[in-house]
Amino acid sequence: MSIEKSTKAARGTAQCENTNINLLKANDFVADIIKKEMAKSNTLLVNITSSAGSGKTTLMQKTAEKLKDKLNMAVMVGDLETERDAERIRETGIFALQIVTGGICHLEAQMIHQVLDQFDLPNIDLLFIENVGNLVCPASFDLGEDYRVTLMATTEGDDKPKKYPRMFLTSDMMLVSKADLLPYLPFSVEAVTKDAREVNHELEVLQISSLSEEGIDEWCDWLVQKVKQKQQT
Amino acid sequence: MHETSIVNSIMRTLEMEFEQEKLNKMKAIHLKVGILSNIEPRLLHNAYSAYHITNPGYHHVVLHIESTELKIQCEVCNHITDVKNYRFICDNCERPSKNVIQGEEMLIHKVEFDD
Repeated sequence: MSIEKSTKAARGTAQCENTNINLLKANDFVADIIKKEMAKSNTLLVNITSSAGSGKTTLMQKTAEKLKDKLNMAVMVGDLETERDAERIRETGIFALQIVTGGICHLEAQMIHQVLDQFDLPNIDLLFIENVGNLVCPASFDLGEDYRVTLMATTEGDDKPKKYPRMFLTSDMMLVSKADLLPYLPFSVEAVTKDAREVNHELEVLQISSLSEEGIDEWCDWLVQKVKQKQQT
Repeated sequence: MHETSIVNSIMRTLEMEFEQEKLNKMKAIHLKVGILSNIEPRLLHNAYSAYHITNPGYHHVVLHIESTELKIQCEVCNHITDVKNYRFICDNCERPSKNVIQGEEMLIHKVEFDD
């Protein structure tokens, strides 16, 4: 049995546009606006990321306690629900604003931009974004920050950098937090640093404890130095 | 949850790039997503289906997702390495590198329209 070949032209034509558009372009567009706002007011914007419960809010409290007399600082803090973290930070005497994401697992540039007018930016040297506790989604969303700092708590286990590589690849600094618990935990700072630097060899690493204050002076010095650099540019 | 945000961002991005008249003729979106992009194609397809419930206008538009593996190119010897176990180190000269040339993409790389 022979099959007759069709000589008819294909019906309907399709037009194709080859593009190479970043699919988070809409987010990145807003992130650029935030960057320009920060440049105008010389405000250093630091995005703090980590898993839930690694000590971000406690670090914000400790940092405020140490630096609030040297720098004008403020925090915006993202959580799925409740105002609790912002309340804890406000108790230290600095301005903190809660962003309730209502179930969304990360902050997006649009959410940051929407609350910027609540901040007196020309009078703020250092603005923290305490991101939603999650090592996955926040890694993908540029918030217009100058630096991304990821906390890696000793209680989480030292295998996280290879499990969540994008977060560590896109971070500038890794803070090994809850270092006061090291004597009680099977956690190797050497192993976590090796894994993290295999992902990102430029990553700065600092061991800290907000409770014992180990490494807190170095952390604050790093912030003060970055604020100065920003104000010089 | 972040897949829902990504689908919203894709559609917002397309609305920024193309006139509505053209978008009405859209029939397929092709994405290229790297292994490092934290995008799981199956979950993104699910989120895309969910998007149509509230935005029925694009229900006929097919989503294609191509995944790409991770590659780095050494800045010193130019050698291209397939990254295994997230070890960002040149397998020729053993130097570390952050020069990711593939595997990080989150791209809308082709859009098809009815003529």
